[in-house]
Amino acid sequence: MSAGDRGSVVQVLRDNPARADRLTALGVTPGAPVRVLQTFPGVVFMCDHTEVAIEPAVASAILVEVSG
Amino acid sequence: MSCAQAAVKIDRKLPLLKLRARPLRIALVGNPNVGKSVLFGRLTGQYAVVSNYPGTTVAVTKGRALVGAEVCDLIDTPGVNALDGELSEDELVTRGIVTGDDVDVVIQVVDARNLRRGLMLASQLATCGKPMLLALNMIDEARSHGIDIDSAALARRLGVPVVETVATEGRGVADLRLALSDAVVPSIGFAAGREHAAWAHALASEFRLERPRAGGRAQERLGQLVREPLTGLPILAVVLYLMYLAVGVFGAQMLVGVIETGVFKAFINPGAVAAFNRFVPLPFVRDLFVGEYGLITMGLTYAVAIVLPVVATFFFVFGFLEDSGYIPRLAIFSDRIFRAMGLNGKAVLPMVLGLGCDTMATMTTRILATKKERLIAVLLLALGIPCSAQLATILGILGGISFAALVTLFTVVLGQMFLVGFLAARVLPGERSEFILEMPPIRWPHMRNVFYKTALRVRWYLGEAVPLFLIGTLLLFALSRLGWLAAMTRGAEPLVVGVLGLPAKTAQVLIMGFLRRDYGAAGLFAMAHGGQLTGAQAVVALTVMTLFVPCVANFLVMIKEQGARAAFAILAVVTVIAIGTGAGLNAAFRVLHVAF
Repeated sequence: MSAGDRGSVVQVLRDNPARADRLTALGVTPGAPVRVLQTFPGVVFMCDHTEVAIEPAVASAILVEVSG
Repeated sequence: MSCAQAAVKIDRKLPLLKLRARPLRIALVGNPNVGKSVLFGRLTGQYAVVSNYPGTTVAVTKGRALVGAEVCDLIDTPGVNALDGELSEDELVTRGIVTGDDVDVVIQVVDARNLRRGLMLASQLATCGKPMLLALNMIDEARSHGIDIDSAALARRLGVPVVETVATEGRGVADLRLALSDAVVPSIGFAAGREHAAWAHALASEFRLERPRAGGRAQERLGQLVREPLTGLPILAVVLYLMYLAVGVFGAQMLVGVIETGVFKAFINPGAVAAFNRFVPLPFVRDLFVGEYGLITMGLTYAVAIVLPVVATFFFVFGFLEDSGYIPRLAIFSDRIFRAMGLNGKAVLPMVLGLGCDTMATMTTRILATKKERLIAVLLLALGIPCSAQLATILGILGGISFAALVTLFTVVLGQMFLVGFLAARVLPGERSEFILEMPPIRWPHMRNVFYKTALRVRWYLGEAVPLFLIGTLLLFALSRLGWLAAMTRGAEPLVVGVLGLPAKTAQVLIMGFLRRDYGAAGLFAMAHGGQLTGAQAVVALTVMTLFVPCVANFLVMIKEQGARAAFAILAVVTVIAIGTGAGLNAAFRVLHVAF
């Protein structure tokens, strides 16, 4: 996804359980609306009303259905 | 209405005054940044320190709150994101408190803009089995964001009271007090089992209405400008320059000038010297207090006149940047670099704080997730981060020489830090955690809170610094009396003069620098002002000093955080690197005939 894209979370992969738990606790859960704010140098997105910054590796665990 | 009806109405509104064996104990729980500490302050009349980043409410804050006619015990807990499943240290602490015997009722503070997350936590909190109620806080900000919540309906569905509050203005706090008697242990209405997220999502969608947003675009735009490298880096440069103006110019030069020259040199020191000369017959005691290494003439003067103004200004600026939400956004830029050093962007928090006081910053490394990260962060803090008084000295001395001198020092120090971090990441066992960080909203800070935080930090610093300054002075006094200082200086001379190319007196300054880093810095400052150092020597001396061992306070905290073995190992590594780098610089300058 790139900056400005919107979508909703489909799934948070659990291959790394600690990572998945941290994301879930921040509200990154199935159905949550997502808006990407930035992709370089770090990935920053708005999930519901929480702004979250992550490193690129973590982004690969969040599956999003893009809507716009 | 009839008399009977009126009577019933009044009865229900009266707060229940129960006869208890001990005060009612209330715990405040919630996600980070929801306004728990502000609410705590409102309920207790006590101002609690409010900060944005995790691990700030490290100790559990307790207070007394007046509820109706009852005095209750109130406990503020660290912000948590989960209370069920795999938990962090903060979360374990909070869960322990809530499930324990010391809590009677729980108020969960929920950010109205993040209802879903709040409900997710509420669902987990329900598994703790205590009577609870929800405080739906920041309801005003939510409304301005276009979010409306039907709190009455939500309360009916959950079976627990839901009170709307605006903690910063004290609104709803009275209702909260009244609602305490209605708190119940949730059973129905909450998720059975562990499907907290899905349940919360469904419930939030049902009770939350979103209108298209009126304003608030500016806030987002500002966040974007700060975050994106193209605009963010120039902004960072501006922020650093403003910090330099505030701390380096206003604090270090103006304030110090006023206090040192105007107050100490003009009144206090001559006055003290005169008084001691008149009233105290023993030369030993006279020297102890007002001699060359006098407790008043050196110890107190350095602590209050030179260090305090600088540190106070730093804490003020840092507090401002903290509350505005700027500092976590720095983590976004720096993440990549930190990852190469075995850390991640989150480490920017202790690193920046280290520019104020390394000792405080070393304690803050607790917010880093893995043991390896904490060790590397402590190592790098000890190695390369100059604390504010030291920074002021660097800027004061090198700034007066040339910009090139300043750049050389920073390049060398940063380079060494990166190298050491890079190597440490490869050599040390363990993992680093992944960078996942919540960004608090960008906002203009509440100035009262910034002042209060600064005052608290300055008070902490004074309580820690002044005794150590005095002890340091005492030690220096003892060392000079015993002739040991001269002996140590002579012993270090070949190293200092031969290898580092510095005047012999620098040895003494470096030794004293261990007792108090800023102490050594002040000594160096005096030398530079006395014209005893050339430009190149100043660069070498300051580079060695910056890379050199941390001060005693920092060392003690290192032992506490990392254990004695690690602390001594760090001490050794850092000393070797400091002297080695100094030697290298000295040699390079001589060979290349560099002058500043």
